Amino acid sequence: MNEEYLWDKSGEPDPEIQQLEQILGTLGYEPKPLDLSAEVQPRSRNRYLPLMAIAATLLIALIAGALWLRVRSKTSPQLDSAKIQSPKPQLVVPKVEDKKTNDILATASGKPSRDERPKVKQVRHPRTPETAKMTVSEHEQALEAKEQLMIALRLTSEKLNLAHRKAQGASPTQIRNQHKVG
Amino acid sequence: MFELEATVDMLLPTPQAKASTDTPEPRIEVVLVKAVLDGDRDSFGRLYDLYAPMVHGILLARIPRSEVDDLVQDIFLHAFRKLHTLRDWAAFGPWIAMITRNRAMDFYRRSKETVEVTEDLRSTDPGTSRANEILELIRGLPEAYRETLILRLVEGMTGPEIAARTGLTAASVRVNLHRGMKQLRAKLGYVEGL
Repeated sequence: MNEEYLWDKSGEPDPEIQQLEQILGTLGYEPKPLDLSAEVQPRSRNRYLPLMAIAATLLIALIAGALWLRVRSKTSPQLDSAKIQSPKPQLVVPKVEDKKTNDILATASGKPSRDERPKVKQVRHPRTPETAKMTVSEHEQALEAKEQLMIALRLTSEKLNLAHRKAQGASPTQIRNQHKVG
Repeated sequence: MFELEATVDMLLPTPQAKASTDTPEPRIEVVLVKAVLDGDRDSFGRLYDLYAPMVHGILLARIPRSEVDDLVQDIFLHAFRKLHTLRDWAAFGPWIAMITRNRAMDFYRRSKETVEVTEDLRSTDPGTSRANEILELIRGLPEAYRETLILRLVEGMTGPEIAARTGLTAASVRVNLHRGMKQLRAKLGYVEGL
């Protein structure tokens, strides 16, 4: 087989390929006119269309930004005047009414009863820079306040337990977990 | 081993093939497509004259011969309508070749049950009948070989022309022609000892 003749019909003709060309050539394309009369002219491509689209997008973004800034500058004085002041945190010590329980707790901890104890005037956050430079007396006061808070919390807990037991219909003196006893 | 050597020899570009691939001048397709988009319908007629044999050959490798002529016209009308969507004007050939392949697939999807590929064999003319028999053998080859072989043997295009029109590399066309021809020879020897 002559490769060059098969490739570009150059060189010595290959009889086998020539025979095939002769036979198959009868099936080849026969020119026929193409009727384009009924067809609409194809749209010509606008090469600047993508650039125009980008420019339009940028313009819209600029206008929107300008409008936003204008609206913001009009409303900002009202916003400045309407500053919200958050309330300062306050320490709430629960009011102890059950004097009996109070006395029991006081004797248990070896501390004076509520009436005898000095009242806490000021409680500061322990991690603030101010507390880092506390004097000895201030430190004692803070410890006392802490103790007081702990007692108040214990009291509240006791009262809650009492209320819970009452709600369940059991007497306050009833021993719990009786099945374990005896 | 011989097959490998032959393939390597074919992949090395010959001076003629190299000259055909290194064409620096602007392609005629670019000029014609631009003219069509600017309103010159006659330029599309020139594109049709240039590419109709290729479209015909691609269809002939896939669908019954009786349907090919009408479909060639349809494909060019479709291409005319959609020409504005073609981005690379120099790639008009590969673009219309792809449209043609897709149309051939659509043809089978639409008329899968009603059309038989072998209907062309019923021709009464003995010359045409033999041609149809060989065409059937070519259709039985792998797709890459049958398209290239039909463009070469039926449409009379040379290897460089096939490469330029379809967008395939010259080396691929050369290999497809060689291997396709080898397989066709084997089939013909089996059938009729040509």
